[in-house]
Amino acid sequence: MTLPNPLALIAEITHRCPLHCVYCSNPLQLAAADSELPASEWRRVFAEAAAMGVLHLHLTGGEPVARHDLEELVASAREAGLYTNLITSGLGLNQDRLARLVGAGLDHIQLSFQDSQPERADQIAGTKSHAHKIELAHWIREHSIAFTANLVVHGHNLNYLQEMLVFLEELRPDRIEVAHTQYYGWALKNRVALMPTAVQLENALRVLEAAQVRVKGRIRIDSVLPDYYAKFPKGCMGGWGQRMILITPSGEAWPCHAAGVIPGLAFDNVREQSLSTIWNESCAFQKFRGESWMQEPCRTCEQRHADFGGCRCQAFLLTGDAAATDPVCSLSPRHDVVLREIRSGQSSNVTTNSQLRNWIYRPNPSRSS
Amino acid sequence: MMAIGENAKPALAAGCRWGGSKEQPVLLFPEGAIKVQATGLAILQLCDGQRSFSEIVSELQERYPEAPAKRIREESANFLEQLNAKRIVNL
Repeated sequence: MTLPNPLALIAEITHRCPLHCVYCSNPLQLAAADSELPASEWRRVFAEAAAMGVLHLHLTGGEPVARHDLEELVASAREAGLYTNLITSGLGLNQDRLARLVGAGLDHIQLSFQDSQPERADQIAGTKSHAHKIELAHWIREHSIAFTANLVVHGHNLNYLQEMLVFLEELRPDRIEVAHTQYYGWALKNRVALMPTAVQLENALRVLEAAQVRVKGRIRIDSVLPDYYAKFPKGCMGGWGQRMILITPSGEAWPCHAAGVIPGLAFDNVREQSLSTIWNESCAFQKFRGESWMQEPCRTCEQRHADFGGCRCQAFLLTGDAAATDPVCSLSPRHDVVLREIRSGQSSNVTTNSQLRNWIYRPNPSRSS
Repeated sequence: MMAIGENAKPALAAGCRWGGSKEQPVLLFPEGAIKVQATGLAILQLCDGQRSFSEIVSELQERYPEAPAKRIREESANFLEQLNAKRIVNL
């Protein structure tokens, strides 16, 4: 079987972030500031990625704007021919810097929102940031780039989805992305508090469908379903080592955002290996590529070509075995683990309100390793 | 029924642009890419924000005289409306 080329490169250029979102999916072990890959190395990685057939670059973090050489990174990505997307909280972006990034060739900006109400938003973010995001959204519309407003939803804001969508529509984005919290990193630590109820989800689906009709041709609304409630798992990353490469702030190449949780995976570093060598030969990328690693029921399941057995990291986090069927799958012998989590989240959210929560906020990484 | 007006002046939306190679142009947009085939390419190359939809259709009809005129109109409208729903083309 021939190996496809990667289509997207996710560049986590820093783990520094002025926000402390309780749903953050960054790893618990954050990369120190002094371990970050310099712009010259990123330039080489972008050129190698484009030569391999990568089309999209997602500059993310942490907060990518925290890097003072972001303009240089955007310019070198565009020189390489990559479609360049900035995923940002907006903090640290003023009118001048935004104009410089657009001038450097930025194609798409994805601005995250936590809520429509400042108090609720700032509580989830652990920082006062909501008002600035609104101002920034207006500045973005003065430029000719694609604008996505991103909203992460969970048990504490889903009841306000209608209100939040109307709020985002008024910012005139091209796209609204409604992303259900995925339980990795810091989000996993806050899982009981973040888990939505089945009733919340049903209502949310109706609200979303109505909104999609309302804004048709004006705004595209994409939404990602929460996998704990799905019948089959998500086709994570389009298959392990099939479409995407993630580079951590210090230059390690990971097959996905959370791969670091899987014990025994050795990651190669772009400081030492070319991207194509890593893609073709790295043990971490080969580990769950294809289907030979699969156990029953995946091994003989008809769904395996669509969902690839689900998420390897989630399988490990919830069952202790990274090669197990993702337990969110209704066919998984360990599906009981997920049902139990859903129940404990529901009973907890009925009895407590968000102000009384003991949120675990995502901290900032240390300066040096 | 066609939703696109005769006087609409379709153009690529902000943040949507061409990539790939000359042999295989790829339309790039947020979170996606489309390999555009010959007919799609012929339509999109005329979507410059200056030509109206009816002008685009006339030019295509001149270029493909062997194809039924009605079919060119319908297929162009369908194609552009689909791209509009994805926010890739402004009408």
